[in-house]
Amino acid sequence: MRKFKRTSETNPTEPSKEQMARYKDFATLSHQYERIAKRPKKPIYKDPKLFLFLLIIGIVFLLLFWNEK
Amino acid sequence: MLESKQIELAKKDHRYFGVLYERYFEQMYRFIFKRLGGNEEASGDLVQQTFMKAMANIAKYEDRGLPFSAWLYRIAQNEVNMFFRAQKKNYSVEITDRQLLSVLEESGEEGVTQEDLDQLIEIINNLEDSQADLLELRFFQGLSFKEIADIYGVSEANAKMKTYRLLEKIKNNWKNKS
Repeated sequence: MRKFKRTSETNPTEPSKEQMARYKDFATLSHQYERIAKRPKKPIYKDPKLFLFLLIIGIVFLLLFWNEK
Repeated sequence: MLESKQIELAKKDHRYFGVLYERYFEQMYRFIFKRLGGNEEASGDLVQQTFMKAMANIAKYEDRGLPFSAWLYRIAQNEVNMFFRAQKKNYSVEITDRQLLSVLEESGEEGVTQEDLDQLIEIINNLEDSQADLLELRFFQGLSFKEIADIYGVSEANAKMKTYRLLEKIKNNWKNKS
């Protein structure tokens, strides 16, 4: 919650150019955005096709392993 | 290059958003910094979040004849309000006496004492969040009615009407307290 408080200062606070420059960084922002945007939108277990494909591969390997035994 | 073209380019490739970031960073930082009462670090975080959200949602941006900055202000406004709501303790924003006096002057009040200013702060702190926001934009941030109207997506006349109704309410509350 915000509460306003009186101050005896006569001028409202203004940020300096140096202060602003410290936080101005488009490269980092762009990098963070890429990391978020490139994340797979669906987790594997929610993608039925991919899930089925991985399940089949798993079963094939399991069968091969049993046959060799 | 025209801003509308830059926006179209940024919609296709986020790297073009850099030009818009360069153009509006300081304006947005100042706005957030003042709203947070001069908290440098939190303002830095919130301005980055504002631009991150803008970049993520620029595909949904539609040019309705309003300045692009109005859209950014709206995002920044939401970020600041979310920040205030997330605070467990009350977050203090310092307001100068001169800024407070400007509220009373606009209401036509003269000969204001220190006690009156204390009462005014109390009244402002008891306003609804949306009303306090409006008051802050107009009198503490010094935005014009046109800028306020653009942020809220209303007409300039409507922004003026809302502000003067609010001043009337403050004046009435103030008189009742006196």
